[in-house]
Amino acid sequence: MGEIWRGIKEAMNLIVHLDPYVMKITLFTLYVCAIATLVGMAAGIPLGCWLAHSRFPGRKLIIALVNTGMGLPPVVVGLFVYIFLRRQGPLGFLNWLYTPRAIILAEIILAMPLIAGIVLSAMQNTDPKLRLQSMSLGASRFRSTLTLLAENRVSVLTAVMAGFGAIVSEVGAAMMVGGNLLVRGQPYTRTLTTAIVLEVGKGESVLAIALGIILLSITLVLILAMTWLQQSEGRASPRARIWGKRLRVENE
Amino acid sequence: MSDFLRLERVEQWYQGRQVLAVESLSLREKEIMAVIGPNGSGKSTLLRLVHLLEAPTFGEIIYWDGSRLSGMDRKARRNLRKQMAMVFQEPLLFRRSVGANIAYGLRARGIKREEARKRSMEMMELLGLQGLERRYAPTLSGGEAQKVSLARALAVRPRLLLLDEPFASLDSPSRMALRKEITSLLRRLGTTALYVTHDHHEALEMADRIAVLIDGEIQQVGKPVEIFGKPLNRKVANFIGTENLLEGVIVSGGEGTARIQVEGGEIEASTSLPLGSRVLAVVHPEEVVLSRESAQAGSARNRLRGEVVDIGMLGSMIKVTMDCGFPLVSCITRSSLEEMGIERGSELVAIFKATSVHLIPREAD
Repeated sequence: MGEIWRGIKEAMNLIVHLDPYVMKITLFTLYVCAIATLVGMAAGIPLGCWLAHSRFPGRKLIIALVNTGMGLPPVVVGLFVYIFLRRQGPLGFLNWLYTPRAIILAEIILAMPLIAGIVLSAMQNTDPKLRLQSMSLGASRFRSTLTLLAENRVSVLTAVMAGFGAIVSEVGAAMMVGGNLLVRGQPYTRTLTTAIVLEVGKGESVLAIALGIILLSITLVLILAMTWLQQSEGRASPRARIWGKRLRVENE
Repeated sequence: MSDFLRLERVEQWYQGRQVLAVESLSLREKEIMAVIGPNGSGKSTLLRLVHLLEAPTFGEIIYWDGSRLSGMDRKARRNLRKQMAMVFQEPLLFRRSVGANIAYGLRARGIKREEARKRSMEMMELLGLQGLERRYAPTLSGGEAQKVSLARALAVRPRLLLLDEPFASLDSPSRMALRKEITSLLRRLGTTALYVTHDHHEALEMADRIAVLIDGEIQQVGKPVEIFGKPLNRKVANFIGTENLLEGVIVSGGEGTARIQVEGGEIEASTSLPLGSRVLAVVHPEEVVLSRESAQAGSARNRLRGEVVDIGMLGSMIKVTMDCGFPLVSCITRSSLEEMGIERGSELVAIFKATSVHLIPREAD
């Protein structure tokens, strides 16, 4: 127990004093996950919309792939990215292995299917008449898709949260293709998760706990912010108080 | 005068099943046409085809600007679709403010935010929706929501408004109120409308002309009085709820008046049909006069004696069913019921003119 308390105290110390090592790792983790989530959204949201609204041979196969992708083990993704990026691999010429780019690539592969899958299922569960109605009012296909995304903003936020949450906390892929490196004594491809693994391995569980707490707080703050956004849907609506609980009045 | 909209031999098949086969249907400018028919008769499909949301398996649709469905590419279809708007049975409002909903079609047409706002405010005023602009649309009541949906469609000033049972999900008083309001608004704006409903009373009240669509085929097109007074075949008669539909054969005739043998009796009707024709005779209940004795003055040819077997309500009127060898329904006011002291078992004479019997040749079935 004492160890945990020391860990927490140490963590507070490191946070309050903006320890450069911890700050670097934290910012690097945020940077990698933000880029990967953004790219994952840029690819996953259109992919989900497209799969929901078009009909072509092979569509079911792609949907099956997306659904499989939602549950991909990070270690396996790391392994394949490693195989592709290593010097003899097909993408070896890029020289991305053990660079931040390699981590970002692996995290995109993890986040994108999650985002696409959640957007796809939300779009498919939307009343198809809503799309007809928007086309009927003169919207182009593109505009009506945007309208439907706006209708499903709660699910889109959920998709983004799920994507970010999955990659900020994964360690397998980041470790395998990033290498958890220091370059000239500075963290280069070291994320919060890979650093925790390292510190535990070194027996430095106090620093590991500190990093863990930082990781938890980051996720918590971001998820809370997004949940607040998500649930503020329909703030303008009247609320009914039933047995002390606040219920939102949906459609009558 | 050329037609505003014309459908020619339009057929729609879903997975080898024919759901619609319209030989021909035309719409005139500024007219409100109701398409009535039971559920599953292809009414909504018809609207979606006209609205270019769906492509027919066969056939041609010719629009007001002379453009033909067969010659249109995607862009032309969208441009034409922009001259129409459709209101569905459910309001289908977007999860945004009422104002943003009404401005949606205008914004989709590239109209600037301020201008769109101004025009949607005008439309809200026309429909009595003032003050709701900032309300979140999902919090509206059913009637308000449907009004917003109508305002949203009308805000784009469509040349053709398509209505797919827009009042079906409303309660009766709001339905009646909205019906009147929309009809007068459409007349005022001079909007041509194609209106689908399974409620023939609604069609009667709103439409200039009615098309009856049953089993995917247009059975009859005409003014409401024609449809209700002279249904063209049994399907139409059954759908509009015609009472006194009697099967019979013309057994003797001359000078335009024929005797028709029906099951359990005989009636006289004016007709130009030849002797021996198999017919369906329609006797409208409001054309039947009830009397205590047959000696009542008048020229009516049909005087049938019978016993009252049932008394019920038909709207605000009283529906009296007599057994004259066949069941005959007549329609009288409450005061005449009381004056004549009619009750179950009363012996009465039912009187109606030969000219008020409408005959449907049975080949038409």
